[in-house]
Amino acid sequence: MSTLETESLTKRFGGLTALNKVNFELRENEILGIIGPNGAGKTTLINVISGIYLPNSGKVIFDGKDITALPAHIRCRLGIGRTFQLIRPLENLNLLQNIMVGSLFGQGAGLREARKKAEEICEFLGLLQSERDITKLTVLEIKKMEIAHALATKPKILFLDEIMAGLNIDETKEIIEAVRRVRTQGVTICVVEHVMSVIKELTERVIVLDGGEIIAQGPYEEVSNNPRVISAYLGEER
Amino acid sequence: MKNWRYIVYAVVIVLAISLPFYTGAYHQHVATTILMFLTLALSWDMLIRAGQLSFGIAGFFGVGGYAAAITYLNWDISPFLSIALGGLAAFVIALVLGFAVLRLRGMYFAITTLALAEIFRVIVRNWSSLTGGPEGMVLPSTIFGGDSAQIYWLLLAIAIATIIVSEVFQRTRIHFALTSIRNNETVAKASGVDIFKYLVLAFAITSAIQGIVGGAYAQIYGFVSPEGSFHLDFTLLPLAMALLGGMYSTPGPVVGGLVLGIVAEYLKLQIPYGHLLVYGVIIVVVILFMPKGIVGTIRERLQRR
Repeated sequence: MSTLETESLTKRFGGLTALNKVNFELRENEILGIIGPNGAGKTTLINVISGIYLPNSGKVIFDGKDITALPAHIRCRLGIGRTFQLIRPLENLNLLQNIMVGSLFGQGAGLREARKKAEEICEFLGLLQSERDITKLTVLEIKKMEIAHALATKPKILFLDEIMAGLNIDETKEIIEAVRRVRTQGVTICVVEHVMSVIKELTERVIVLDGGEIIAQGPYEEVSNNPRVISAYLGEER
Repeated sequence: MKNWRYIVYAVVIVLAISLPFYTGAYHQHVATTILMFLTLALSWDMLIRAGQLSFGIAGFFGVGGYAAAITYLNWDISPFLSIALGGLAAFVIALVLGFAVLRLRGMYFAITTLALAEIFRVIVRNWSSLTGGPEGMVLPSTIFGGDSAQIYWLLLAIAIATIIVSEVFQRTRIHFALTSIRNNETVAKASGVDIFKYLVLAFAITSAIQGIVGGAYAQIYGFVSPEGSFHLDFTLLPLAMALLGGMYSTPGPVVGGLVLGIVAEYLKLQIPYGHLLVYGVIIVVVILFMPKGIVGTIRERLQRR
């Protein structure tokens, strides 16, 4: 059973076609990877699915329901959570309050309940001293906060947009571990990533985007040997 | 430390309420004016907490004033009810216009609110049958028969009510909604915040407060006119007060309102109209050297210690 699918999703920015008739599906409780060169349309795909952009044509179907026309905050409440590639913490709120925003509005929790949930999520991800000013966080902590913020909305599907960028090997391992633990709670996960070792280790299935089109999909080993993918994306490495 | 704070609050409130017992009519009048502008400053701040800069204070202030005057003259109602209706009129108009105007952001929103105030003024000026046209309207009597102490208490009550509303904004989920909208709308949206709902709510409530103050102003002076009731001072002065005191909190505009209000009164006596020049200088100096305002700067110093 698939929880999310897109039908012929197209998004144009002026003359540029960022997504061209993209059909893809997310299967329940899998970890899917999306890869592709810069400008391939990875982030645009997430933006269209989460409702930040409306597509020019095509459909987004979530749990069998057409959500193409729904605004972003409703999609969030339905269970589509996401992080942002350019991390954007809410500067005037502290760490815990940032996470609380997710449970307050994503889940409709009350203040006390939201606080409790945010504290639980902090503990789950190993975020300490949650009353801290967010300007004093390390890169790893900011990434965790991003994940925590998204988790606080209680997503059924979680999109992680280049969450590993800027992390060292040990930190990357820690986040991979965290993502796996999130999945065991029943969340379907979709990671957009440039770091191939992360894709290889974490995902069960990979979609390759290039020029707004899906050029290959399947397990990482299969996809990474696909000649079209190699020429589009991995070419320089071979 | 916390108890100490409540003692200070209690002392300030007692002093404020008892002010007419140890001052004369002149000081009561000055205090009333300060409270009026302070309330406007606080209402302006409550909207900027969502990142929306309004130059339309005078517009809703004037609408409130006219609504109060018109209902009072035509319906034989109590002056208090007319003031409340002034607030209601501003609320309803802001609610309706909000659906269009709140699709704009930043400078576009700011300029549009400025234009709205001007449109209100032009409408009022030309709708003579209802508003008395360019000459305005004179009420048959002023509220409390012009008793300065009672007028002061009325404004004190409005100011305290506004402070309470502002604290409700700060201590409930509204705070999280407005702050996240101000910081980053995309993140707010993706976190489930219904941005438009909260913007419309904040715009309507703050406009209602401005309408109530405008209604009170009309009842106190017994007079409304297109040029007087929509005067740009009712926009600029509150804005300067909030900037001086510090934005995004309740104490900021309150402190800024008190400080600038007292300074303005003193300067008015020393150099007539020179006070406007001083406002300008204060705004420039604050923006350059104290962007967080008086309250924000003090807080920062205390935290660093």
